[in-house]
Amino acid sequence: MRRFTPAKFFKGMNLTVFTFAMLFLYIPILILVVFSFNDARIVTSWKGFTLKYYAQLLHNVAIRDAFLNTMLIAGLSTLFSTLLGLLIALGLENKKLKGRKGFMGLLYAPLVIPDILMGVSLALLFNFLRVNTGMWTVLIAHITFCVSYAAIVIQSRLEGFDYSLIEAAMDLGAKPGTTFFKVKLPLIMPGVIAAALLSFTLSIDDFIITFFTSGRGFDTLPIYVEGTIRRGTITTINALSTLVIGLTLLLVVFTKRIRKSLISSF
Amino acid sequence: MKSNSKSSRLDYLLAAPTLIWLTVFFLVPYFIVLIYGFLTPDIFDVKFEFNLDAYRQLFDGTYFRPFVLSVKLAITTTLLCILIAYPVAYLIARASDKIKNTLLILIIIPFWTNLIIRIFSWRIFLSYNGVLNDILMRIGLISQPLEIMRTDLAVIMVMVYVYLPYMILPLYSVLEKLDFTLLHAAMDLGANEVKSFFKITLPLSLEGIFAGVLLVFIPALGTYLIPQLVGDQRSLYVGQVITYKIKNIPRNWPMASALSFGLLILVAIFLLLGYILLKKSKVRGVA
Repeated sequence: MRRFTPAKFFKGMNLTVFTFAMLFLYIPILILVVFSFNDARIVTSWKGFTLKYYAQLLHNVAIRDAFLNTMLIAGLSTLFSTLLGLLIALGLENKKLKGRKGFMGLLYAPLVIPDILMGVSLALLFNFLRVNTGMWTVLIAHITFCVSYAAIVIQSRLEGFDYSLIEAAMDLGAKPGTTFFKVKLPLIMPGVIAAALLSFTLSIDDFIITFFTSGRGFDTLPIYVEGTIRRGTITTINALSTLVIGLTLLLVVFTKRIRKSLISSF
Repeated sequence: MKSNSKSSRLDYLLAAPTLIWLTVFFLVPYFIVLIYGFLTPDIFDVKFEFNLDAYRQLFDGTYFRPFVLSVKLAITTTLLCILIAYPVAYLIARASDKIKNTLLILIIIPFWTNLIIRIFSWRIFLSYNGVLNDILMRIGLISQPLEIMRTDLAVIMVMVYVYLPYMILPLYSVLEKLDFTLLHAAMDLGANEVKSFFKITLPLSLEGIFAGVLLVFIPALGTYLIPQLVGDQRSLYVGQVITYKIKNIPRNWPMASALSFGLLILVAIFLLLGYILLKKSKVRGVA
């Protein structure tokens, strides 16, 4: 005899909510992908398969420039913020360091402050210093908001570090430099890669901070897309979005190890 | 071995570049925000003349309302995220290892997809002649398209959609480490599922909920893009007002500064509240 029990109820509810959440997360994206192949100006009705928006995409100079800008900023800010994050993570590894609490406070503060405030404050800083906004100001802003995330991911990798390995290397006569580059760095490398990947993702995804710190003529992809949506000429955006989603999918599926260390850093 | 002065000097050297960077580009700018709030607006810039208007206007109805709306939105979003994320995280945490990985990927993909693109996809879904209305009319549930786009409801839906993974992941990482033998022990001792959930699972997952709230509530307070792209333009949130004051001409940077500073204080208050609450719940957990 089947009996209603709270356990079954819980399980059933969990499954229902899960299914609902998945539909909620994926239906809009799926629609977007499907309609990127739709040969119609109006969104609703299906008028047949086409690739013409993808062809338009290839010939669009503004999109190409925005894409190159995005990659340039993401690449450089990833490099610098991962390096800075690694350095500070190593520096603050020693828990007895004087002033460590204050340093940690400064390092973690950007994580708990809304993005828009960082955007506004940097915009005002650049105005105050009379700096022309453009590529350099965007790069500075991106390094600033990525560095704390990079540091946190590397710190969590250092947390479980087995120091007996360092001692073993030293006992065997390795110099501190050799020990660091041959033993320690390779061991924390997954954390460093995860930090770099997170910085890269944060950088290419950012709209609001870039919006406040970029000048005229320096658009990243999110800035370009937002402008296009606002102006209402959205036909190529579907195709562009589908490409971006496809790239994301590839990245997520093929980076198992990195994904794991990203999840464990939460 | 690490406590001698030579190695601590090296530690300071390693930490210094990042600390200097954050001081110059994170800390100092907030002082500039504070100061700009006391200046006089100009059409394109600011005049360096002392003026109290901006901070005074902060408590006017026109500028106070966006704050109220933003707090309301952040609370609603956070609560809905907890309600949906908890069962989802619980299900993933208790799934077998193989399924667990697939489910996690499913949660992470939207998290890694560009924010603007995700918001944009909701515009297609919800718009007047969009897919949702089309389906509902074809089924015969409605005869007139629903006006969902550009309403407060649309803002809440998209907010929950965007922030849901930020609540699921920390909850999952707490629930995954949860010792489920405790639950079995409780049930062996006669507690039913409901009781053991409220007495064991929920208190032990408080830390995850707190982390999730931090990741959802604070960004939600300052949101600009979502209400801007799908919201009703008659109800403006703080993020929108700040952005308009900075970007639209005539510019009013002192007002934007005062609003930003108000938002910063608000965030600080909520963080402090959360910190006290977490500490209290921990103390009770030990006792």
